[in-house]
Amino acid sequence: MNCDWVRKLIPLYFYGELPSEEEERVEEHLHGCAACAREMERQRRLAAALDRRLAEPPPLLLEECRVDLMAAIRSQTPPRGAVVSRGPWALFLEAMAATLAGFQRFRQPVGALALVALGFFAARFAGTNPGAAQAPDLSAAGEVYSTVRSIQPDNAGRVRIAYDETRRREVSGRMDDRGIQKLLLAAATESNPAMRVESVGLLSERAGSSDVRDALLNALSHDSNAGVRMKALEGLKPLAGDPEVRKSLAGALVSDDDPAVRMQAVDLLVTQRDDATVGMLQGLVQKENNDYVRLKCERALKDWNASVGTF
Amino acid sequence: MEIGHAAEAVGARLTIPVDELVRAAQRGDQDAFEQLVRAYDRSVLRLAMNLLRSPEDARDVYQEAFLRVYRSLDTFRFDCSFQTWLYRIVTNICLDQLRKRKVRKEEPAVMETGDGALDRMDSFEEEAPHADPERAAWNKELKARIEGALQDLSPRERMVFELRHYQGLRLRNIGETLGTTEEAAKNCLFRATQKMRSVLGDFV
Repeated sequence: MNCDWVRKLIPLYFYGELPSEEEERVEEHLHGCAACAREMERQRRLAAALDRRLAEPPPLLLEECRVDLMAAIRSQTPPRGAVVSRGPWALFLEAMAATLAGFQRFRQPVGALALVALGFFAARFAGTNPGAAQAPDLSAAGEVYSTVRSIQPDNAGRVRIAYDETRRREVSGRMDDRGIQKLLLAAATESNPAMRVESVGLLSERAGSSDVRDALLNALSHDSNAGVRMKALEGLKPLAGDPEVRKSLAGALVSDDDPAVRMQAVDLLVTQRDDATVGMLQGLVQKENNDYVRLKCERALKDWNASVGTF
Repeated sequence: MEIGHAAEAVGARLTIPVDELVRAAQRGDQDAFEQLVRAYDRSVLRLAMNLLRSPEDARDVYQEAFLRVYRSLDTFRFDCSFQTWLYRIVTNICLDQLRKRKVRKEEPAVMETGDGALDRMDSFEEEAPHADPERAAWNKELKARIEGALQDLSPRERMVFELRHYQGLRLRNIGETLGTTEEAAKNCLFRATQKMRSVLGDFV
């Protein structure tokens, strides 16, 4: 096997796409030929540089796509025998109530409440029966926002339009009002980070209720915005002794990519001494890259008269 | 994220065999169809996102691909795996998009990151400027070169490279998906790698 031939095979060798015999021959050649080994190294560096270009979809995009798809499919194929006797607004409120009732279990950052509305209206107004769905009077509808999703003219001169409709409503009430709290819980998972910061900040004053605590833990563990996570930490302060809260704090301390969040997590964890926290802080002193976080861990260990190193 | 997720992750969460789900969906079972979508849609979206680098375009590809699957599922005759059939649809839509962009000579130079899409290269740059301006400049140049190198590929070369490098599919499956031979896919991958190495020059 000569060098020219091996260099042609290097990309395929790198991707593991050579038959095993040929692979062995390339390997043998690379061991004995410094120039070809350098080419192989270049191939590795190219692949590593390209790995860094990987683009991930935004966090909520998949859920949005699923909702859009199912709405589009429902608008194409009416389920047989589906008779809706209640008005659309009553059904929407039911959907809202069902969503909010399930909020206690809502520990994953799934699509925001708006998505429920979007899917609902797309399905409802696209019409299960093209003849029955009347075009609503948009001009009289007040603050209604519509997004047209599809337009299908037929031979009879009619046109079928599928659109999503969102209505703006305003409510006001005291923070101890259950309904207000539920809306804030919903806002804590909105796609707009400003809404999340605001709602988590307000909720953090009421962390005593279990669903608020769950929402704060959810924000701490899953929210992509460090400002929201900081607000959640503020709210969790009075609960720093709760085992589940400590578990999430430990998770944030070990894996959060924002040093400010990690430092705040240390502050909350050290309010109560336990062996697991000591062990974790000792581990972090060894491997934490951020100087401030590491110093904070060291200081906490010194305050507890615990050893800074592990043995 | 792990490179090569498509090959291992798709279908892995299904408790019912894929073929059974496809048959049920062909009989009009909506739940089965939804399960099929959920088994494969994450990798479809990742493929479209990384290839087109725009959440809006990725969303369009997702929608069009699964609507085509829904409309033509009854024509699927199990001549190949469902995944291959699905990827054939997805790659055709993506190739159309890439070709249109080539004609218009446009490519999102800066990815739309308003909604939090992640680009590893960007995060490298964000860390760097304060610590090491020279490294930041080097990263910026490398990023521009990589974008240029990828733009120089033909849509087909780009697709083969995407499927092999980022999505972890084997060349045999790539050939089957793109309606060509494994040998042709190999040649495509080789050409793509060579072109990128020549554009990136001393950077790698």
